[in-house]
Amino acid sequence: MRAVIRDGIGVFHPQGFLDGASSESLLNIEDIDMTVKSNASMILVSLKKVIFFNRNGLDVFIKMFQKVRTANHIVVGFCDYDKKKYDAFKKFYDNDLSFSLFKTQQIASLFSSGFKEKNKNVLLYSEDKSQRAALAIELHDNGHNPIVAQSEEEFLQKAEAKDAYDVIIENTFLGQMGQKVATRVTGNAIIYTVASFLDAEIGNTFNIAYHNNSLNVGFRLFIFDAYKVVSMNVHALNFFSKLSTSAAEYNATICFVGMSFNKTPLSFKETLEDSGMMFFDQMDDILQNKELLDELGASSAASGKNKRSLNKVLVTELPNFIDATVATIEMMTNSKATKDAAKVDKIEIVDKNDKIASSIGFYGDIDGMVMLVFPLDIAKKACELLIGESTDDKELILDTLAELVNIVGGKVKTLLADEHISVDITLPRTYHDVDGLLEVAQEKKGVQVDLSFDNDKFLFFLTR
Amino acid sequence: MITKSQIDSFIEKIPPSPKILKETLSLLDQGDLVKAAKVGKEDSALNAYLKELINKPIYGFRNEVNDISQIFGILGVSKSQEATYNYMISLLSPAKWKLFKLNKSSFYDLQAQFSANWQKITSHLNINDKDLQSAVSLLPASIIVSEALFCEKIDDVKLLRSVDEIDLNTILQRLCGMDLFDICQRIALKWEMSDSIAKILQAASGVKPSQDETINKLGKWMHLLLFYTLSQPAFIQAELNDFIDFQVDYVNDIYDDFSNLMEIS
Repeated sequence: MRAVIRDGIGVFHPQGFLDGASSESLLNIEDIDMTVKSNASMILVSLKKVIFFNRNGLDVFIKMFQKVRTANHIVVGFCDYDKKKYDAFKKFYDNDLSFSLFKTQQIASLFSSGFKEKNKNVLLYSEDKSQRAALAIELHDNGHNPIVAQSEEEFLQKAEAKDAYDVIIENTFLGQMGQKVATRVTGNAIIYTVASFLDAEIGNTFNIAYHNNSLNVGFRLFIFDAYKVVSMNVHALNFFSKLSTSAAEYNATICFVGMSFNKTPLSFKETLEDSGMMFFDQMDDILQNKELLDELGASSAASGKNKRSLNKVLVTELPNFIDATVATIEMMTNSKATKDAAKVDKIEIVDKNDKIASSIGFYGDIDGMVMLVFPLDIAKKACELLIGESTDDKELILDTLAELVNIVGGKVKTLLADEHISVDITLPRTYHDVDGLLEVAQEKKGVQVDLSFDNDKFLFFLTR
Repeated sequence: MITKSQIDSFIEKIPPSPKILKETLSLLDQGDLVKAAKVGKEDSALNAYLKELINKPIYGFRNEVNDISQIFGILGVSKSQEATYNYMISLLSPAKWKLFKLNKSSFYDLQAQFSANWQKITSHLNINDKDLQSAVSLLPASIIVSEALFCEKIDDVKLLRSVDEIDLNTILQRLCGMDLFDICQRIALKWEMSDSIAKILQAASGVKPSQDETINKLGKWMHLLLFYTLSQPAFIQAELNDFIDFQVDYVNDIYDDFSNLMEIS
């Protein structure tokens, strides 16, 4: 099958029914390679003329997409679908969407560098906060004016004024933003979801590397959403006891929410409580109790065992980290960055006033952590684009800042992938003030780069 | 450019010319299966064709069915008539396909699948008209005619296709001033089928809906069946899948019913 290439986007148009067998006959990797060679920066399969697809049918395309993306680092995905098909994608792939979804080709073209038209007024909404941020940034990056609706209600309200926007984006997903392992909530807590029978298998399914790196980054509160857990056996009990004990080394807290002990011995609860685990009936008992949330999530001195030195690989990749960070912030604040100084030492922050900070960890072929210290004004400016208006609400700024750092992390991941270095990123951790960050970072050695955005000082710190 | 007279002359070549076939069809039309089988027996090629058709997996018979009277008995009047039409069409089938990557066996498969599934559909819709059952045999017939027409201008066709992603039906329209469904209509006229069949086939194009509700409904089912069949790997590889433009919106309202009937999951 041949693709139609327009605005740098190669679109394949299969028609009829897509299952495992038909998809293989419709499209092959040579067809895609040929399209890539014709300078397409995005490869999409249009579902406009597809009346039926199943998971097997999509998997055939996705397998090829992954190969092409690894080899060429281009955007791959599907377009031209309705809500029903979009929901089917979400159902099939849940949190494992590694490709992009554009409701229409017109929407896809806004994300293509080959699209000549600029300055489109775009109203956008996604129920996923990270997606809202990612979409807005990419649109801004491509020279458009995104207007982000923060809720579905706001979106529907704004969408009524159709003439005010050139394009309205919904049911769209950018797939290159990395994996989604857990959900972050305000207050720097990480929520893991566990369900059904907890047994020895939890040791395999729980992403311990992710968890350890989250601890390393400075997360201090981990909540297991256990509403759907039926029972737990002794192997799982051992696992969670160990997890809780090891978390204690970081002064971190692990909680279970909604766990019923109808089919699990009550003695298990006591054992877990002895190891430091806390139990709550409702998620809101923690999340709506700001005092408790602050208390549980407050970071304390970092563990001494965590002092690892920088290595050569990390330093070699330093330009990649800086590039990703600078490019994102420059674009978000519309200002030019200059590098003032760089040194390898412990983090040093001269003026601690009016600064907020964020950190994100990465692990895989290489591991480490990026810390960014923003003057509050830069953070506000950078976040304006994502929030859609200026705000003084520090929580909201921190929240949005976390999304921004998440995007930096995603970019780093992509840049490293270009060099065949595979890493995953943790969720971003934010700090109300510099002292919070220093509790985690002051003993660590790393590369500190001082940058100026116009006259605002900005600090980048890479450590392990 | 291929002229209308060239198309007509090609359609003119379409049987029925053999006397035996004509008589068999006429007896089937009268509903006399016994006599039709007796006459049909004299054409050994027809016998071999029917035997191959009925024993294809889609018909799902456990034991091999050999005898023409047995075959007509199993198929009943309308399906026997359609099978005989299919045989006539197969006589036209080229020895070597040039544009579509088909061969004798895959073409018979195509016929069998259209035929068996269309039967399922007409039963589901409670339609017992034997002419309507035969209507679906016109689709493979027009594929043969299109192949023949394309082959006359194969270089033009390849050039047009290399320039842009145009479906073959549009090329056919541009080259001959007729599309696949117009050809179907011509063949229906040639075979003296009822006027409504020609209208159903036009509606089956998905771009020429009929004002008549029943005809339009059957047109939708045929359009969807066409794509259901042409989405199979063998016919995708034969380059039939993108022969015509699939009109998803046209068939959306019958899709759930169709997928239940065909047990698509």
